[in-house]
Amino acid sequence: MSILEQLSEALIVGNATAVTRLTAQALEAGLLPQTILDEGLIAGMNVVGNRFRNCEMFLPEVLTSARAMKAGVAQIEPLLAAAGVKPAGKIIIGTVRGDLHDIGKNLVAIMLRGAGFEIIDVGVGVTAQKFVEAVREHHPDIVGMSAMLTTTMMQMKTVITALAEAGLRDRIKIMIGGAPVNNSFAEEIGADAYGRNASNAVEKARNLINSTKATEP
Amino acid sequence: MNGKERMAAAMRLSEPDRVPAMCQLSLGHYFLNCDQSEIDIWHSTEAFGDALIALQRRYGFDGILVNLPGRDPNWRSYIERIDESDEGKIIHWRNGWHTVCPSDDNPHVYRQDDTRYFSTFEELEPNKLFYIEPHDLSGLSYPYGWGFSETPADERDFFPSWHFDTIDYVISRAGKEVSIHSEVFSPFTQFLELLDYTNGLVALIDDPVKTKACLERLARGAIDLGRKQAAHKVDAILISSAFAGAGFISPDQYREFVLPFERMVIDGIKAEFDVPIYTHTCGNIGDRLELIRETGTNGIDTLDPPPLGNVELADAKKRVGDTLFLKGNIDPVNVMLLGTPEQVFAEASRCIKAASTNGGYVLSTACSVPPQAPPENIVKLREAVDAYRA
Repeated sequence: MSILEQLSEALIVGNATAVTRLTAQALEAGLLPQTILDEGLIAGMNVVGNRFRNCEMFLPEVLTSARAMKAGVAQIEPLLAAAGVKPAGKIIIGTVRGDLHDIGKNLVAIMLRGAGFEIIDVGVGVTAQKFVEAVREHHPDIVGMSAMLTTTMMQMKTVITALAEAGLRDRIKIMIGGAPVNNSFAEEIGADAYGRNASNAVEKARNLINSTKATEP
Repeated sequence: MNGKERMAAAMRLSEPDRVPAMCQLSLGHYFLNCDQSEIDIWHSTEAFGDALIALQRRYGFDGILVNLPGRDPNWRSYIERIDESDEGKIIHWRNGWHTVCPSDDNPHVYRQDDTRYFSTFEELEPNKLFYIEPHDLSGLSYPYGWGFSETPADERDFFPSWHFDTIDYVISRAGKEVSIHSEVFSPFTQFLELLDYTNGLVALIDDPVKTKACLERLARGAIDLGRKQAAHKVDAILISSAFAGAGFISPDQYREFVLPFERMVIDGIKAEFDVPIYTHTCGNIGDRLELIRETGTNGIDTLDPPPLGNVELADAKKRVGDTLFLKGNIDPVNVMLLGTPEQVFAEASRCIKAASTNGGYVLSTACSVPPQAPPENIVKLREAVDAYRA
């Protein structure tokens, strides 16, 4: 088994200590940070995402894998920054007002960060006004919103309306995710994408960035 | 039959004169639809009791779930001032903490550093756990103490007498006509609330032995609370177990970390009181209805349908309806919140047809009725059960 395969395997079983050690070994062996990230860490997390989707893994295991991913990314991130690798895009991410659940948001943030996005995590219970202020301050490409409660999911629409009223809606793409929402809900409230899990959120974020680039003059 | 008798019949799997209707309403729904302020409804025994009764009567429900504890009658004396903000009213307490009270959602308590308190798994000593009440006036604490007291509660006399005041208040005013239910948090829910969900779920993997020791202790507190609620003459007890569905844990993890401890709670209460106990677990539970039954519960609440969950009501009736009563299955978002009154009526009729044969069904939304759900939608539930009887 190659070192990258070992790294993926360690991540899948949630062994953060092994991920830290194998990431260091891979770097010492001269593998490029981007290669380690793509073919070791992200490859492993994609397996986790698929198994989660197929009910072969559940949140406790996914969270330990995410913890291992974070340990590996912490070693890679400074090297990518030092090499001048530009972020794949900038994303503001938060859980909407009235909702203090952060598991899904954190998983998505870890995966997006691992995939090379710059993440501004505005936390939980975020009001529409705070999302507007964060967009004004950070000029993101994408705003990602999470909700776990059926009682709070309508806040997503409130945020989109507030962004439109502030004249910011056309400058950004909006992604949503969370247990009670789905694709048709995303369309209904005027979001640009729905991520059904953390891996899928990365795919959708890449698509949104690519679609933006494709329409740029 | 009145509502109390009707609910009793359904919970005991016999056939009432018509299908009973009873929903758990989100606290935000009370805030938006009752005369009292959100601060009073959350913090005052009498205001919450009045709100519970007012909406039960408005919607014609056959039962009331008392889903907040009774409150310290002196709660106002701890207030320094109340401010308005974009996020809602803010209560500044004399000890420097503050509570943000949105107009349509549950309040949350923040400490001096503007953060919510959670314990760490490392600091937990199982023998210092007994019961965690997430809705206490001052939020969570460890070791657990009530309100702003710095003295941990003694498990020999853990629950203050005012903790049961709301139950007494509601029973004295509505208990002859409608079924009054109380709420006990499952050990697993208490554990996750105390640690924060991420840390609680990771603990299952990191140290299952210590986790189970914690759950065993929290089950003891839940038994004590359930017995005391039963002694105050509630008609049923709901075990709130929101995080035991497939959105969180596997069936194997359910069997390891939920089932034995909920069974302890149910057995412990039933050893002294013949009171119906049912279980509220949200989301995807279609793969574990039989596991839930193994806890010894008398009924299952929520039964979220697709897309929020994966329970087909007719299938659930076939699988466990011979031994458990079923309550729920109406989509709280896509039907109650976003649907029309006609859609609510149609969905309610579908549920009644799917599950009411031979009794054992309570018409209800799957999870709580959302804060902004239109009252004209909610009254359709009662109209549907009346129409079906006719």
